[in-house]
Amino acid sequence: MPYTAEISRANPTCFVFVIDQSGSMSDSFGSEGAGRKADFVADVVNRTLHDLVIRCTKTEEIRNYYHIAVLGYGGSVQSAFVGSLAGRSLVPVADVAESPARLDVRSKKVPDGAGGLVEHQVRFPVWIDPQTGGGTPMCEALSQAKALVEQWVSEHRSSFPPTILHLTDGESTDGDPTAKGKELLGLSTFDGPVLVFNCHVSSRGSGKLEYPSDGATLPDEFARTLFGISSVLPEGFRKAADQIGVRASEGARGFVFNGDPTSVVQFFEIGTRPANLR
Amino acid sequence: MSACNLETQQLRMPKAGCSLTECEDAIGLNSRGRRFAVADGATEAFDSKTWAKLVTRSWVRVDPPALSVEDFVPLVRDLGARLQSRWKKKSLPWYAEEKARQGSFTAFVGVQFYLAETPKSWKAIAVGDSCLVQKRGQEIVKAFPISDVTLFGSNPILVPSLAPLQDRMAENFATSDGAFEVNDEFLLLTDAVAAWYLDSEKPESSKSLAMSLLASSRYPELENHFQDLRARGEMRNDDVTIVRILVREHA
Repeated sequence: MPYTAEISRANPTCFVFVIDQSGSMSDSFGSEGAGRKADFVADVVNRTLHDLVIRCTKTEEIRNYYHIAVLGYGGSVQSAFVGSLAGRSLVPVADVAESPARLDVRSKKVPDGAGGLVEHQVRFPVWIDPQTGGGTPMCEALSQAKALVEQWVSEHRSSFPPTILHLTDGESTDGDPTAKGKELLGLSTFDGPVLVFNCHVSSRGSGKLEYPSDGATLPDEFARTLFGISSVLPEGFRKAADQIGVRASEGARGFVFNGDPTSVVQFFEIGTRPANLR
Repeated sequence: MSACNLETQQLRMPKAGCSLTECEDAIGLNSRGRRFAVADGATEAFDSKTWAKLVTRSWVRVDPPALSVEDFVPLVRDLGARLQSRWKKKSLPWYAEEKARQGSFTAFVGVQFYLAETPKSWKAIAVGDSCLVQKRGQEIVKAFPISDVTLFGSNPILVPSLAPLQDRMAENFATSDGAFEVNDEFLLLTDAVAAWYLDSEKPESSKSLAMSLLASSRYPELENHFQDLRARGEMRNDDVTIVRILVREHA
């Protein structure tokens, strides 16, 4: 049965985040007066990396259950890591843990134990900064993701296959990404084909469509293109969706169209849930 | 009426790919006090090996035995505070400090035997999916707290080290008791081996072989047997801990 491989130090898995950093990502996101899409997405990616690190923390040691890449695309396509990881592509999670660019301090509201909330100062590790500029070279970004993943699967044949989490706010400016996406989807380990999940975000805040199973219901050709290069969510991911109150029926694709801020948070949470850690 | 004593064997075996020092299961034995326990530290939790060890070893020693939720919660509250303070004394990297804030978790089952009573009896407590099995000959007299194998693999409520979470654990605190006879056999099992042992579709011959290897303390052969079961997909690759307690007639 696919997508059942245990994730261990001997058989790690891999996450590749592919993040649109085009000029339009500087537009506001969500309600009026909200911050930029780029800021919000960078925060969510940093939070997701934080959660992956924490999941691999065993006492004072980090177990390398994951290899992680973050590609940003806009003016160019490159590793989005900043600080000492800048320029590095696939990084073992222990190196991610040891090398945030900085530890910011943020306020967080936590339960005070008496039914209320109290503000706490928490450390917020930062690995990527928001970047915006240029077009949307989606084909080139998927092509670079494919190169990373192709190499990785050749070295980890028994592993849980890599998961590619792609976020964009607009159409590709370097051609139809279908062929590149299909090439990615054609890669596999013995445990199954590579998983490609796509999240399209919109500043409009309307027409949101999450985890559809039927392409015929989609509003336009661009949505159908992204749907066509999105994997069907395996059962474990659908369960993860269910646990956070997101409905994903059998056959649902890992695809969000016109997503809002909540969709983005949920997309990364669901997409990083292969949890069969050993 | 015959006098009896308790004979024990035990196995603690790490999941494949890990060393014994990484095994997050723990055993507590108090032969004089006739109290025994196993715990299964949660894989994704912080320092769960230490937490499982602390809970089992303290529970078998504490007097009077903590056999009710009213006694168990204060015990783990003290232990959790002790663990938390141990972590605070260390200089931890940011990720370990963050994870420590989430606390640790363990499944737990413990049993107290009363040999001088008539009839001879036992009392057990459990939180989570570690199990006690009572056998008489080939028959399973009792499986506690789980007897339905389909219930393994869900996300059980465990014993948390953090005090605010311990109240929720109290809702899932299970107790059981029963009588026993000479030659009855008790097994304390962590979840992977319990799920295999209680599955009626798994061959009885394989279970009998395991129990006979355990009874004769042939541990390397028993570990090989379990490794084969894992390789064939018949047993989940997880830490395995078994304590076997045999009620023997006093010579």
